[in-house]
Amino acid sequence: MNLDWSIVWSSRWLLLEGAALTVLLTALTMLISVPGGILLALMRGSRFKPVSLFATGFVELFRNLPLLLLVYWAFYVMPVLTGLALSPFVTGLTALCLNVSAYNSETFRSGIASIRKGQGEAGLALGMSRAQVFGEIILPQAWRRVLPVLASTWVSLFKDTSLVSVIAVGELAHTAMQIRSQSFRVLEMLTAMAAIYWLMGYPQAKLVDWIHRKYGVRE
Amino acid sequence: MTAQPRKNADRAPMLVYKDVRKRYGSFTALDGVSLHVNPGEVVCLIGPSGSGKSTLLRCTNGLETLDGGEVLFEGKPLPKSDVEMRGVRQRMGMVFQNFELFPHKTALENVATGLITVKKMPADEANRRAMALMAKVGLSDKTANYPSNLSGGQQQRVAIARALAMEPHVMLFDEPTSALDPETVGEVLNVMRQLALEGMTMIVVTHEMSFARRVASWVVVFEKGKLLEEGPPTQIFDAPLKERTRDFLSHLGWDG
Repeated sequence: MNLDWSIVWSSRWLLLEGAALTVLLTALTMLISVPGGILLALMRGSRFKPVSLFATGFVELFRNLPLLLLVYWAFYVMPVLTGLALSPFVTGLTALCLNVSAYNSETFRSGIASIRKGQGEAGLALGMSRAQVFGEIILPQAWRRVLPVLASTWVSLFKDTSLVSVIAVGELAHTAMQIRSQSFRVLEMLTAMAAIYWLMGYPQAKLVDWIHRKYGVRE
Repeated sequence: MTAQPRKNADRAPMLVYKDVRKRYGSFTALDGVSLHVNPGEVVCLIGPSGSGKSTLLRCTNGLETLDGGEVLFEGKPLPKSDVEMRGVRQRMGMVFQNFELFPHKTALENVATGLITVKKMPADEANRRAMALMAKVGLSDKTANYPSNLSGGQQQRVAIARALAMEPHVMLFDEPTSALDPETVGEVLNVMRQLALEGMTMIVVTHEMSFARRVASWVVVFEKGKLLEEGPPTQIFDAPLKERTRDFLSHLGWDG
């Protein structure tokens, strides 16, 4: 078999750009989906029925659809429904955010539920409002407990961003596939792509392990 | 009934409970309780577990809602609205059985947090007040500790300081020493005795009969969600009017 690895080196800047976009996509998705998850978790706990029903519906819908389907749906159906012409990047970001927000909502919900009831009562007894109890007492404690789970979600998300390559978002997977189809260097490009994902993903996974050890619930 | 006048009986009562009722499903926690607390009194609520003492305390600051009857605080019924209830709670300090210190805040931050978030006091002033209260409960050297690095007795003293920071008119103690190791019970009771001497109005749900005997100005005995007997400690502990009171006390090993 005739292998030519020079294609990897000669497309290094394109691959680097793709990798940068993968990181950007991961970071932006998380940046939106963490507050999104908190908001959804709060809405699910609302005493106002329509609000909690909406949040439950949102979470159960987007958590249980294959992400790939969601990406296609956002690309083909969303513009028809909303009349908005969004770039592939924004479309992909939207699909990822819908999915990850739904997951984060469940993460935060269990984190919030794990805080003893007496903690909130101690805040109320001081005269705090419900919002102050949540912001000052519940969320900081829940945050610490869910951090390991959020970190795991981050690592899955980092790999799952490759799915938006199907709607031509120029992140790492799409870039590598493009080079592959133009150069016909299938084995080289797939190997290079695997190596780059692994080299970037492995330290993140190790970081997650460390977070688990440091912040994991020990009670 | 007793001939002895109650402490500050000439003043308007701080708290009045009128036929208070509370149910949890089919369980009746409070079955029509009426009593009052005068300013400056230390009222101890005693009785078997599940007799309604803690529930009454929790109805006082609205942690539980009433199913019937009413509670008057400083002459006014407890407000229905959340906002007004917050104002009432600021005037009632509460101390919990499990301390419920905020584990992500230092001892000093625990004491200052109510002043900063609720009373909107500038942080340096709040910290100064918190320092003074930490000194009052004998923990000046533990201000930077997190609750996990304090003994149970120390945590409960911080919790008392946290409640005192709001300058409450009445302190509610919900079994404050029940979760403590025996050797740290004394330090918490000492702080409470000191408060009582300073004239703080206190309602104490407790199983510490010697504390009730020595510090209480009025003792209320609960049984099955009802008020069994009330009177000065001399009556309750030395010459109870009700046979059931005597039974309960002898059950605890109390022999006067």
